[in-house]
Amino acid sequence: MGRLSIRWLLGELPTLEAEGVIDADAAERLRTHYTEKTSGSGRRLVVAIFAVFGALLIGGGVILLLAHNWEAFGRGTRAAIALLPLLASQGLVGWVLIKKSDSTAWREGSATLMALTLAAAIALVDQTYHTGGDLESFLWRWSLLLAPLPWLLNSTAVAMLFLAALTWWAGAAKVEGSQILMMWPLAAAVIPHLIQVMGSDRRGLRAANLQWAIALFLCVAAGLGLENRVPGLWIVVYVGLFALMITLGVVNRRGEDGLWRRPLEVVGVAGSIIMWLILSFDEPWRHIGWKHIHTTERFHEVTSWLDVMLAVGLPLAAIAAMAFLLDRGRHRLYLLWGLSVPLVAVVWPLTAETDSRWIGAVSFTVLLLVVGIATIAEGVRQQNLGTVNLGMLVVALLVVVRFFDSGFGFIFKGFAFILVGFGFLVANIVLSRSLRAGEEEVK
Amino acid sequence: MNSRLRLVLFVVVGLVQLAVAGGAIVESELALRTGEAFRFRIQPVDPVDAFRGRYVAIRFAVDRAPAPDDLDVKPGKQVYLRLENDGEGYAVLGQASAEKPMSGPYLRLRAGGIYPDEDGTRFVWVSMPFRRYYMDEDRAPAAERAVWGGRRGQREASVSVRVRNGVGVIEELYIDDVPIHQWLTDNANIR
Repeated sequence: MGRLSIRWLLGELPTLEAEGVIDADAAERLRTHYTEKTSGSGRRLVVAIFAVFGALLIGGGVILLLAHNWEAFGRGTRAAIALLPLLASQGLVGWVLIKKSDSTAWREGSATLMALTLAAAIALVDQTYHTGGDLESFLWRWSLLLAPLPWLLNSTAVAMLFLAALTWWAGAAKVEGSQILMMWPLAAAVIPHLIQVMGSDRRGLRAANLQWAIALFLCVAAGLGLENRVPGLWIVVYVGLFALMITLGVVNRRGEDGLWRRPLEVVGVAGSIIMWLILSFDEPWRHIGWKHIHTTERFHEVTSWLDVMLAVGLPLAAIAAMAFLLDRGRHRLYLLWGLSVPLVAVVWPLTAETDSRWIGAVSFTVLLLVVGIATIAEGVRQQNLGTVNLGMLVVALLVVVRFFDSGFGFIFKGFAFILVGFGFLVANIVLSRSLRAGEEEVK
Repeated sequence: MNSRLRLVLFVVVGLVQLAVAGGAIVESELALRTGEAFRFRIQPVDPVDAFRGRYVAIRFAVDRAPAPDDLDVKPGKQVYLRLENDGEGYAVLGQASAEKPMSGPYLRLRAGGIYPDEDGTRFVWVSMPFRRYYMDEDRAPAAERAVWGGRRGQREASVSVRVRNGVGVIEELYIDDVPIHQWLTDNANIR
């Protein structure tokens, strides 16, 4: 059970006791049981964080020392030096596995150190023999060797390092024009670790950190992984991905979780806002769809099909998740955010067929406005300032973006702004009247 | 999973890690000790790698090889290139083939595309695997300036490469036939 849940439970105890649900003894036993549990856990967490940062700094220091390039030592000495830190950290990890496998701090710290000394070993061998090619090739070999470690050593820190290295590789390889299809199966290596962590403490900090890493990885990977043979598929892929993230995040969270423990939701909402703002311009909708398929350049067959599968699969998965997992009453705000999926499913083919860029731009401008206002209204209804602010942010960003949009003339923009401004004033009056009416009803 | 199995798997993974790092050492040492020596003309530039430190980036003066008409390799696939001498003591890339040559020294490289030049001769572009000469962080910039001087026509830069079973490993970087460290010591003032 997470710390927040325990705090909630302890807060409930007096009421439960007063209402006779549990007797005083049981309440006291629960109190001592959970107080013992929480008092140590904060300290353990700090120790684990310190262990990981210590290992990161030491490992990083080793890499920097080796990068200086100690040419004075002969090849043989340098080859030995390359393997020594790795051997030492392997020994440490082995000892931790046997003696200290229950300690998060030892496990995460030693595993992090091993991940970095592994990088140092590969790097120094490359350096000594002038082999190994570009940064891309180095990152690929490191990622491959890191892949089994998160699950095997039950280390979230290494999982985060692994995803970072893999993303970095994919970016570097993409720049070089290499094929990065292998990114997907390799990234799947974190799934066993995800199951491991979610099984042991799904509300814990490790689960949250891992979900952050995965969510951010998916944001970048979805873009890098696309072959873009059919132009514009990224629009559908990203809209679907963010809607799916929001849905899964909302389903898994409980009211009292803070922002850091809601990575999928935060990344999904932030990503949606940014994506919709981009799509509210007409430029992204230029030359998209099947009429503009690239035939001249060289494209990878499998990756091109993966594009199509993602573009169809992600929106469908998002819709299915919303239909089966979200509650129409409790989650209606999030269902509204999910409107982007059916919207893009209609607008994208329409734009592809007609080549009219304004359809998409206008649709997403309206979507931003509607979702923004609805979010504000929902926030007011729930008396939740965070939700109100989120809605205001959406509307404010939309206004700023449109103000500087050179696609429309000044006169049109001027009238549109005035019109929307009046809309807000009217909405304000209606809203405050209904609130006042609500208050009077309560009285 | 029980802890014994985890430990066994860890030992396997640890050995794989050592084998990857150690295997690269063995392969390079074998090439350097028993490989045949070639000298390549280069055109270098200098950057830095966060993990592996400073190096002199090397661009080979030759990075394409004549391809026979029946050669068909996809970009990214392996191609075998015979190595020949041009008479002045420098290496040139001979005929490319999809299979390992029966005799003579050769390099195993990744193919780029195959394109005909102006005369219609087919060439396969290759990315040379030894593109970096790592150096001490203090000396690499000086070496870079030295080699850049060569690019403007004053100095000739080259690397010696040892080749064994298709694997090439850089042995030394030369400026005007003088090993780079010697050259930097000799020319400490004119840099």
